[in-house]
Amino acid sequence: MSAAVMFHPPKHQIQRFVEGELSAGMSVALSAHMEFCADCRRTAGAAEAELVAQWNAKEALQSPADLTGILDAITQQPQERANTPSTPVSRKLVVDDQVISLPRVLAQIASAGLNWKTVSNGIRSAKVDLDTDTTCEFIHMQPGSKAPQHSHRGNEVMLVLDGKFSDEMGEYGASDFVIRDPAHRHQPRTETGCICFSVLDSPLVFTEGWLRLWNPIGLALFQLTRWRRRKLI
Amino acid sequence: MNNLSLSLDRFSMGFMVLPESRAAHTPKSDALVTRETDSDEDLLIAVGNRQDRIAFNTLFARFSNRIFAMGMKLTRNEQLAHDLVQEALLMVWQKAPLYDLDRGNAQGWIFTIARNRCFDMLRKARRQPACVSADDIWPLEGESGELSTSGETGFQSVELSQVEQYYGQLPEAQFAVIEQIYVFDRTHEEAAELLKIPLGTLKSRLRLGMEKLRTLVGVEQ
Ligand SMILES: [Zn+2]
Repeated sequence: MSAAVMFHPPKHQIQRFVEGELSAGMSVALSAHMEFCADCRRTAGAAEAELVAQWNAKEALQSPADLTGILDAITQQPQERANTPSTPVSRKLVVDDQVISLPRVLAQIASAGLNWKTVSNGIRSAKVDLDTDTTCEFIHMQPGSKAPQHSHRGNEVMLVLDGKFSDEMGEYGASDFVIRDPAHRHQPRTETGCICFSVLDSPLVFTEGWLRLWNPIGLALFQLTRWRRRKLI
Repeated sequence: MNNLSLSLDRFSMGFMVLPESRAAHTPKSDALVTRETDSDEDLLIAVGNRQDRIAFNTLFARFSNRIFAMGMKLTRNEQLAHDLVQEALLMVWQKAPLYDLDRGNAQGWIFTIARNRCFDMLRKARRQPACVSADDIWPLEGESGELSTSGETGFQSVELSQVEQYYGQLPEAQFAVIEQIYVFDRTHEEAAELLKIPLGTLKSRLRLGMEKLRTLVGVEQ
């Protein structure tokens, strides 16, 4: 069973992702979403083309003159004739009796091993240390479980990996990229069980503009999203 | 004409970076001039196919400032930006044989290399864990496509064309109402007035359209 991807990172965030300006944790969440979202991949492609165009139009900057000293050193280096194949990592994540398939970047991260800890009744989390700007964790919610109601100092992203969860704003399924800003108090809950990847960023990392949810994939899907959300409230 | 002046600009910009003595040492410094009319792609392919140093010098002159600017923006540190120019252009040299036109334009390819190098450099400088690298986050073209069609995964995305299909399957009158309300964000009253239909008719069309839409989405799921 597969569900439609309904919730996407805002365009502004995709642009910063392409630019390399987001934290590692947030970049991982976007990358994982995009592996399964052709629309966001297209948005990222367009953003990249725009950035490259701006880059090309850049005025000459006074750069240190001794940079040219490295020309010879570089051209004496051997060149790569073939892509060095990266060691394949297993895409499977086993949680209890469930086996799910992870996006590549998350499989890479999980390959180091996950250490699950009980957070509350029916909810476990496995923290992964990606950077100092964010708190990243895999979250497993058992069927019928409810997270304690909470708000946060920073933005929270929940990327749904398997199953569904819902909160006061709507219901989210596989690959949905759900953003909750600090103003929201919310209480995720699930009837059927859910596995997510969650990123909580420090309030210092992201500034204004980021909070504005702007769905990148065009009016049609954006409105369909809104429609669905309204229906669910 | 426009193209020519653009590449001349690039030339003078690149040339500024070269100290006089260096330019004099370079065996075929006049060849550098002729290469300025070559496209970035031709130069990169020449570097990849036959270790063409003059072509690489030209790319270096064209891109060092841009990469430096990217480094300054992302790291706000001149030393790191300086290192980035060196590391990114080393990687351009090393990976040039892997470049072909299927990978898009040369600027995009070099941009990706520089952005990824910068990301990893900055993480290293800030002593962040090495469990994830830029190449995991921004996989090479083709890799993600291959995976999403492998069928191994339970994930599926709805393409925009599918969404358009949903709307396409709605009766025109219902679609018009949905469009007014949800796309143009009009109130029921405004929409009824614009569509020249009674408010009651609007509401029932909206309800029917929504039900139909829900069925369509539901069928897909
Ligand atoms: Zn998306």
